[in-house]
Parts: sequence; C-alpha cells; structure tokens
Amino acid sequence: MIVKEWCMYCGECAGVCPRGLIEAREINLVFDEENCKDCQICINCCPVRALEKEE
Amino acid sequence: MIETDVLVIGAGPAGSSAAKHAALNGAKVLMIEKKSEIGAPKRCAEGVSKDGLIQLGVEPSSRWITSEIDGVRLVSPGGTDVWLTRDTVKLPEMGYVVERKVFDKFMAMDAARAGADIMVKTLARGLERKGGHIIVKAECMGEEFEIKAKVIIGADGPESRVGRWGGLKTTVKPKDMESGAQFEMVGVEMENPNALEFYFGSVAPGGYAWVFPKGKDIANVGLAVISTLTEKSAYEHLVEFAKNCPTTKNATAVELNIGGDPVGGILKKISTDNLLVVGDAAGMVNPLTGGGIISGMQGGVIAGEIAAAAIKEGDVSEERFAEYDERCQKELGSSFNKYMKARNYLESLSDDELDSIAKTFNESEFERISTTELLKVLVNVSPKALLKLGKLF
Repeated sequence: MIVKEWCMYCGECAGVCPRGLIEAREINLVFDEENCKDCQICINCCPVRALEKEE
Repeated sequence: MIETDVLVIGAGPAGSSAAKHAALNGAKVLMIEKKSEIGAPKRCAEGVSKDGLIQLGVEPSSRWITSEIDGVRLVSPGGTDVWLTRDTVKLPEMGYVVERKVFDKFMAMDAARAGADIMVKTLARGLERKGGHIIVKAECMGEEFEIKAKVIIGADGPESRVGRWGGLKTTVKPKDMESGAQFEMVGVEMENPNALEFYFGSVAPGGYAWVFPKGKDIANVGLAVISTLTEKSAYEHLVEFAKNCPTTKNATAVELNIGGDPVGGILKKISTDNLLVVGDAAGMVNPLTGGGIISGMQGGVIAGEIAAAAIKEGDVSEERFAEYDERCQKELGSSFNKYMKARNYLESLSDDELDSIAKTFNESEFERISTTELLKVLVNVSPKALLKLGKLF
C-alpha cells in the first residue's frame, strides 16, 4: 500500500479494515500486506484519498 | 513489567472518564495514550450538551469553553432556513463548543487527580491472556515493555484494535462509518454566533455539513459523508462546501481535521473476559448527530465503576461483565436505536423533499422543541416524507 505524504493518520482505514490489518500509529500506518485480500475498503473510505494500491 | 489493576488504552474523554471512575472506586489504574499530546489533533466538531455535562458532574470551565450555544439553524439544500432559537421556541438547555485539546487534557488531569497514572506516547501493540490476567505489549519512545493488568478498558477510538485482540467484533462496516473532514476557519460570517448551523442534502451524502461557532468570526466548518454513497472524498466535499456556502465563502482555514465516526450504534458485544471497550471503540456515538463525547464519557463512568467492582469481587469474567453490556445498552443503546431510525429516514430524503419539509416547517407553529417533537413535526409536514418514515418503523 502506498501511503501518500498528506495522510493525517486519522485511523479511519484501520477502523473499517474487515481483517484488522492496519495499525494506526501517531504518525505512521503499518499494513499487514501479506494477509490483505485487496478489498480496497480502506482506500475508498479515506477522507483525503491518501491511500493507493501498489501495482 | 508494570502491574496494575486496570489498564485504560486511549486517553480521550471516554478513556479518562473510565480511568477516573475506576480509580475513584478503589482500583489501581494506568492509562496509556499513543499520541504525544492528549486531545490533539481533534477529530470532532467539539459540541457538547449542557445536560450531558451536568449528568456527568463536570463543572463547565472557561479554560475549555469557546462559545455557548442557545440556538440552531437548519438549512435545506435549496437554502431555506429553519431557525430554532429562544426567540421562536422554548428550547431545552443547549450546550457549548469546546476546545478539545484543552478539554481532553482537563479530563485526563481529572483522572490523574482521582489517582490514575498516565503515560503518553505509549502504544499498545498486542495482548495475551495469562493466568487470569492480560499481558499487554507496549512501546514508548523506542522502549518495549509489558503491562500486566486484571482488566483492560479499550478506549482506542474508531480504529480500535484492543477489542479485536480480545476477540470482540469491533470492525465498523463502511456504511456505518461517517468519513469526516473539517476546517477551523476565521472570517466566518455567521448570522448568530451562538447558534449551531446544519446543512442537509447532497452537500454531504449520508451525513450533513456543520458550522459550529468558536468565536465571533471563528468556527469549525465541517461535514461527514458515508463513503459508499459518494465518489468524492470527505475533503473534496468540504472544499466545495466551504467555497460555496455564504457563511464561509470569505473565510480562511487555520486548521484541517479528518477522521471516522462510527454511527452504526453500540456494538452487540462490548465486553469479554478481562476486557471492556468504551467510547467510539464500542460505537457509543449518536447515530443521528455523530456526537460521541458525552455518550462516550457516560460509557466510561459505567466501565470504570464495573471494572473496579469486579476486581474487588475477584471476578473479571465475561459473565461478570455482562452487567456492562446491559447497562450500556439500557442507558445509551435504546436512545441510539431511535436516532438510528431518524438517520435512516433523513438519508432517504431527496434534496427536493428536504426543501419541501423546510418550507412547510417554517409555516408550522410549535412552542417547544425537542428531538422527538422535531421528528413529529417532520412527519406531519410532508405526506411523502411520512410514507418513507412509515417504511422505516
């Protein structure tokens, strides 16, 4: 997952991740990419569109 | 290893309230907060009701009150105003717009004065159950360590991981997560700087936009949307709203806040062995307004009292904590169910229907307004809207 520079680490993505794979730290997001099923819910809910799937 | 009776994870108002009441009831309490500053950055419009504060025994303080509210302005998509002020109707005691970075610290200090210890910039990384206790792996300024507690209270917000670690289903469905964006602005041209302004319709699909005054020309200008109902981000909707709204078009932003608000109601299960969740982590948010400060603090009081009592009794089992679920559902959940229906109803209305309701509303006469009476008037003024409401109940 690419986290854009303007991410504000609000954690909304972590709240909606159905598998609980995102850890929202104060100024960092940690993704468990290995277990991600690519549902893209986190990407679509971000209030500032700061997440992008890595191709 | 640090040992404590109660470990509260998250120092928002719900966490501080839980920590305070667990400590007041005799428990040894530690509260940890992942951020370096409690209360900042805010993810909130900062409105609280006077009644709520009174019920919680919180004395209003000029240190965290930025403005006193005594009216409401509702604006339909076509621009029809509905004013609910003391001049037009008998209003219940309204509320305040607070400064969260001061308010939250004030509540945390209250918890500390009641006997709770606090550690900031301390992140919980995981937990395991061992011999009737919970061991939490934590990290502070690069140092990893463990905290052994009899009871964990997860107050870690809508992104809660604590509940999941304990086996609770705290994931929020996208349709129940309001995605919010807000500017704090100066140069806001409010007709009444003591009234909250709400804007409905396609300006904020699934939610609404707001202007909450924090001074003569200062306000929180924000909105919340349901991401599944719009192609645009909350931020894009906000920029458009701030540019086009007559109240804010000449204003300048001095702060940007974003965040999710879980509006699906209280989770079905909010406790398990050794563990309770509270506040946004438990869905203690009014589904209609998105407000969660007071309800989260009310949940915190219940969590703190029950955790301390359970520790005294030597029973921190899931069965013992069933009282927590029951009290929260009874004291908070029942009203949330009503507000959820109202939210579904509002969501179902088109911009034209909202305009029609606003116009008819202005022609109606009523002496006293409450949420229930507001809904009754809404039902009475539009037959089409009434039909939709009927389908929801």
